Amino acid sequence: MLEIRDLHVCVEEDGTEILKGVNLNVNKGEIHAIMGPNGSGKSTLSKVVAGQEAYEVTQGDILFEGESILELEPEERAHLGIFLAFQYPVEVPGVTNKNLLRQAYNTIAREQGREELDPLQFEDYAYEKLELVDMKPEFLDRSVNAGFSGGEKKRNEIFQMAVLNPRLSFLDETDSGLDIDALKTVAGGINKISNEDNAVVLVTHYQRILDYVQPDKVHVMIDGKIAKTGDKDLAVKLEDQGYDWVMDEVASVSVNGEQQ
Amino acid sequence: MAKVKRQKDRTFLQDLLDFQGSLNGKSELLDEIRLKGAEGVRNTHFPRPKDEDWRFISLRDLYSDSYVLASDLDVEVPDISDHYLPESQDARLVFINGVFSEQHSSTDALPDDVVIGNIARLAAEGSELLEKHLNQYADFEDDAFTSFNSAFLKDGAFIYIPKERKVEAPVHLLFVQTDADQNYFATSRSVIVADEGSDITLVEDHIGLGNNKYFNLPVVELKLEEDAFVKHTKIQRESREAIHIARTGAYVAKHSNYESYTVTCGAKLSRNEPRISQRDEEVEFTVDGLVLIDGNQVSDTHSVMDHRFSHADSHQLHKCVINGKAHSVFNGKIFVRKDAQRIDSFQENRNLLLSRKGTVNTKPQLEIFADDVVCTHGATVGQLEEDEVFYLKSRGLNEQQARELLIYAFALETIENITVDSVQELLVDEVHKFTERQLDSEIAV
Repeated sequence: MLEIRDLHVCVEEDGTEILKGVNLNVNKGEIHAIMGPNGSGKSTLSKVVAGQEAYEVTQGDILFEGESILELEPEERAHLGIFLAFQYPVEVPGVTNKNLLRQAYNTIAREQGREELDPLQFEDYAYEKLELVDMKPEFLDRSVNAGFSGGEKKRNEIFQMAVLNPRLSFLDETDSGLDIDALKTVAGGINKISNEDNAVVLVTHYQRILDYVQPDKVHVMIDGKIAKTGDKDLAVKLEDQGYDWVMDEVASVSVNGEQQ
Repeated sequence: MAKVKRQKDRTFLQDLLDFQGSLNGKSELLDEIRLKGAEGVRNTHFPRPKDEDWRFISLRDLYSDSYVLASDLDVEVPDISDHYLPESQDARLVFINGVFSEQHSSTDALPDDVVIGNIARLAAEGSELLEKHLNQYADFEDDAFTSFNSAFLKDGAFIYIPKERKVEAPVHLLFVQTDADQNYFATSRSVIVADEGSDITLVEDHIGLGNNKYFNLPVVELKLEEDAFVKHTKIQRESREAIHIARTGAYVAKHSNYESYTVTCGAKLSRNEPRISQRDEEVEFTVDGLVLIDGNQVSDTHSVMDHRFSHADSHQLHKCVINGKAHSVFNGKIFVRKDAQRIDSFQENRNLLLSRKGTVNTKPQLEIFADDVVCTHGATVGQLEEDEVFYLKSRGLNEQQARELLIYAFALETIENITVDSVQELLVDEVHKFTERQLDSEIAV
């Protein structure tokens, strides 16, 4: 489904290179976790996949269903079924969740040749999805994220994901800042949305969400590259031992590399 | 034709004054006001660049041209029914270039005891109500434009709502300016009197049908008696070459509530001067505004909230969205007179500046002579945040949809209390057109 090849990315403004050759394959039906220390480039990777214009791809490619998406606008990527749950969801006072989501849902449906929903149909549809993240119907009539608590914002991202039903979702630190109950709710939502036709990439700092969402693969990102890939056990080891041992491995590989 | 050559140190406006006398002879009441108005113009002067209240905008565009009187034009009136509000079916007065149009107006939906009609007719009939209230509530001392409006007083709307009468249908006052080959000057005077305990919703609507230049100078006077409730929405959608200079004076009596919402999207140069004068204790009033301007448009709002007695609750939220080389000016005066205690006044001017070449001048001005007073005021200038736009685009909205949603969200607070649905809809449409022009102009650059 997603194939990232030797991706190099820098910040458009000052040219700082953040991603230094990322390779990643995600197949449909899979859940991946990308872990790594602060500043390793995890969040940048999610934003670049979603089309954030503040970054420039200098080398490599991102393929979705075999086609490069580098030239596509963020909304065109959304129309293909790519979704990003934001680490810091933006507050949009004055625009209700319902209005934004109906407009988003219908725009995507139109682009994908599916039927649009009228306001009443959409309300029924949205009510079902609210249950997935244990949110009350009033949530629909509140302004997007305005005055939401941290936990509500994260749940709202998962709710939006449920409504838009994307094929590929990047969840950027959706687990951070949540208490254990909220974490369970968010994880439960992800599990219910996840199926054999879609794929989820969890970008996270901590192992604890992986107690509730079973990943097929765990990647460790260090200094703009995927340094190590493994299964759930890798995440447990990272939790116990931190990232230093992976960094040491990376360092020795590059030292060896230079020696050759 | 009222057209002459310009003399030294005179603007064409003064030249035009020579012709106001031609209106006389039909009503003593109007003749007298016109005479006083002409005197007023002669005893003062039109604003000069150095005048403190006019220093941010230039009136050269107004002074440099000549105008004919709108009533001298031969007008072919196109179909204007698209501009009718469905809620105001049979509750509508239409003025075309300042002159009442009977064929477009209907007031059948209003209760019989509501006195509503055009000033020219009521003056000819010798209406006592008109005589009592006309030219009483627009306190714009030493203002050449108000005097000029009086000097040319000919027609406009008059509404009197009797005691305890609640008018269900919103009354639509539709002022249409037609397309024309010549620059013209149109004016109107409207008077709304809400007697004790009455309740009315007004939509004052100024529309330009063409892209021509004209000068429109409307003056509106309102009188709210005890316990009266008036909701007044003004929409200014003049031609983008027009000059619109308006004064609105409101007297608010005990326990009355005046809510005013002014939306400005038209005209090349517009100046609004709402002035609320508290006439007794315990009143509430709102003077909110929304300005959507781009290209070379200039919009200036100079407001006065005059707290003259104790116990007032006043609110002013003025929001402006500025694109292109447009220029927005806000000057909000809050007066609290000596012994006017327990005043709670809120004022804020928020600006959304979408382009580098746009300009904003904002100046809250508080003059407080009482001590038990809460006045909050503030002004901000901001831009559309890129991360907001990206957030919405990542949800599938395109650039236009995303910006439109954000501009609408910014504007909403100033218009959400307008209770006429079709007005809400047309404002959504104005935001849409504004955003469309914004994107077009960026493509052009």
